Amino acid sequence: MRPNTVGWLMLAPTIAILGIFGIIPFIYVLYVSFHQWNPFGASPDMIYNGANNFRRLVFDTEFLTSIAFTMKFAFFAVLSEIALGYLLAQLFMKEFPGRGFFRTIHTLPLIVAPIVVGSVWRLMTTPSIGIIPYLLKSWFGYDLNIGRDATAAFALTVIMDIWHWTPLVTLTLLAALLALPKEPFEQAQIDGANRRQIFWHVTLPMIRPAILATVFIRLMDALRTVDEVWMLTSGGPGAATRFVGLHIWKIVFPKTDYGYGAAISVIVLYLTLVMCWLLYVALVARRERKRTF
Amino acid sequence: MAHVTVTDVTKKYGALPVIHGVGIDIADGEFVVLVGPSGCGKSTLLRMIAGLETISGGTVAIGGRVVNDVLPKDRDIAMVFQNYALYPHKTVADNMGFPLKLKGAPRSEIEAKVRKAADILDLGKLLDRYPKQLSGGQRQRVAMGRAIVRDPQVFLFDEPLSNLDAKLRVTMRVEIKELHQRLKTTTIYVTHDQIEAMTMADKIVVMRDGRVEQIGAPLDLYDRPANVFVAGFIGSPSMNFVPGRLSMASGQVNFVSDKGTVLPVPEGTPDHGEPVIYGIRPEHIDVRPDGLSARISVLEPTGSETQIFAHLGGDPVMAAVRDRVAVTPGDTISFRIDPYRAHLFEARSGRRL
Repeated sequence: MRPNTVGWLMLAPTIAILGIFGIIPFIYVLYVSFHQWNPFGASPDMIYNGANNFRRLVFDTEFLTSIAFTMKFAFFAVLSEIALGYLLAQLFMKEFPGRGFFRTIHTLPLIVAPIVVGSVWRLMTTPSIGIIPYLLKSWFGYDLNIGRDATAAFALTVIMDIWHWTPLVTLTLLAALLALPKEPFEQAQIDGANRRQIFWHVTLPMIRPAILATVFIRLMDALRTVDEVWMLTSGGPGAATRFVGLHIWKIVFPKTDYGYGAAISVIVLYLTLVMCWLLYVALVARRERKRTF
Repeated sequence: MAHVTVTDVTKKYGALPVIHGVGIDIADGEFVVLVGPSGCGKSTLLRMIAGLETISGGTVAIGGRVVNDVLPKDRDIAMVFQNYALYPHKTVADNMGFPLKLKGAPRSEIEAKVRKAADILDLGKLLDRYPKQLSGGQRQRVAMGRAIVRDPQVFLFDEPLSNLDAKLRVTMRVEIKELHQRLKTTTIYVTHDQIEAMTMADKIVVMRDGRVEQIGAPLDLYDRPANVFVAGFIGSPSMNFVPGRLSMASGQVNFVSDKGTVLPVPEGTPDHGEPVIYGIRPEHIDVRPDGLSARISVLEPTGSETQIFAHLGGDPVMAAVRDRVAVTPGDTISFRIDPYRAHLFEARSGRRL
C-alpha cells in the first residue's frame, strides 16, 4: 500500500473535530471521574481518589432513583413515539387532500429547540395561566398541577417528549415504508395473508432495520434528556422528574462536584451502551436464526 | 386445475381506458402466453386475473366461478413476479412454506410439501439460505417453488425470466416447460419476448394497446398472422414488409412495390385494387442463381445462419440463410422468394388478405 497522504489530509478536519469535541473530552471526563475535584469547595485541588466516586454512586439513592425514573421515561416515551410514528407514517402513505401540507407541518416540532419546547410547555401547563390546566378543568373537572402531582408531572414530560420527537420517527419510518418494494406485499395477498398477517410477517420485518435505528437514536436521546425537563419541571415535584441528565447537571453545576458528576456520566454512558447492546442482541442477532420449521 | 375464462374485460384508470374488452378462453391444463410490446396491457390483464387490479368491466372466471370480487387469496392462484418478490427476511424454506403456514397447515405437512417442491426444483441444499445469498436463477426457482407448494388451480407468471441473463433464460424456459408438463396446471404467462412465447405456449395471445390482436397456436401465428402487427411481432428476425399494389400483367397477378420491384404472389391471388403490404420472412428468402437480383448493404454472420441486408430494387429486405455465402457488402446477390410463403395484408387496415 502506498502512503495515501491526500486521503489523510482529506480526513484531517473530521479527525480533528472528532478528537477535539469527542475523544479528548471523553478521556478528560474519564480522568476527572477518578478524582475528587470541587474547585469551589474546601479543598479546590484535584485529588486522585481511585474508584471512590464509583463506590459512592452505587449507594446514592438519589442517583439510583433518577436512573429508575429515566428508564421509565425512556421506555414510555420511545415506545409511544414508535407506535404513534408508525401510525402517522402509514397515514401519510395514504392519499388524502392536503397530504403534502400535513407531511410538512407535522415536522415543525423538530425544528424547535428543546429549551423552547420546555418553556412553551411550561407556559401551557402552569396552573391559573396555562391553557392545558384550564381546558382539563373545564372539560373534565381535573385539576392539573405539575408542581404538586408527581404522576402528572412525569406523564407530562413523557407527553412533551412524544410531541417533540414523534415527527422524527414518522419521517424515518415513512422513508422506510416508501422504499419498500410492492411485490412482496402483493405476493403476500396472493399467498393468503390478511392485513394483520401482512403487518407481522412482511411489513414489520422489512422495516425492522429502520425501526431499530430509530429506537437506538431515540433511546440514547431520551436517556440524556435535560433541558426540556429542566424548563418544564426542574426535576420536581420532589425528584419525580429528576432524570439522570438533570441529576448530573445538578451535581456538576450548582454543587460543582466535578469528580462525582464525571463518574455518573461515565456510568450512564456505560448503561446506555449495555442497553443498546441488549436491544441489539434481542432484536438483531435473532435474525440469524434458522428456519421456523 | 381449472379453466379460466376472460370475458369482455375492460380496465380504466380514471377516464383512461387501458384494456378494451378482452376475451380469452383458457382450457384446463393449458399453457397460455400473453405477449405484446411494453404497455400493451398484458401485465395489467394478468394482475386482474390475480386480483391485484380491479376489473372495470366484464368478468374473469376461474374454474367456472366468477372471481371479479374475490380477494387474491381466495382465488386459488399462485403468481411468480419478474423480480421474484421473495420475502427478504425469510429463509428459502420459510418463503416456500409461508402460504401453507398462513393456511394453518401442520408443520409436518408444510415440511413434506416444501421438501417435495425443493426436490422438483433442485433446491434441497438451499433451504436454509436467505434470498440475498442466492443467484438470480436460484431466486427464480424459489419463487416457482413457492407457487408449486400451494398446488393452485392456476399459475400466473409475470415476465419471470426478464431479470435473468440470456443463457439462464433459456435454461429456465425449459425448466418451466418441463414443470408444466409434469404438473399440468393451467398456466398464464406474460412476456414481451416472442421467442419465449413461441417456445413455451400451447396458445399465444398477442396483445397491442389493450386489445387482442390474435389468439392461436404458436405455429398458426407464425404461418398465418392475422395482421401486419402480429406478422412483425412473431418470428425472429422479424418479417420484411414492402408496401405496394397488386397488378395484373400478362394474365398473372403480381405484386409491384411502390418503388417498382416486382415480387411473386401465390397463384390465384385476386387482383386487389387497394394498396397492400407484402410480407416475407427473412428465412423464406433463398439465395438462388435464378432469382431477383439485390445489392448487399450489410452482412451479419451469426455462425448458424447469415443475415443479409440488401436492396431489392429500391426496397430494403433482409434474408436469413443457413448456407455460408461468399459475398461482401456492395456485391449483387440473387434472391428467390417462394410465392406460397408470402403474406399479403391490406395497407389501410393491416389485415391479412
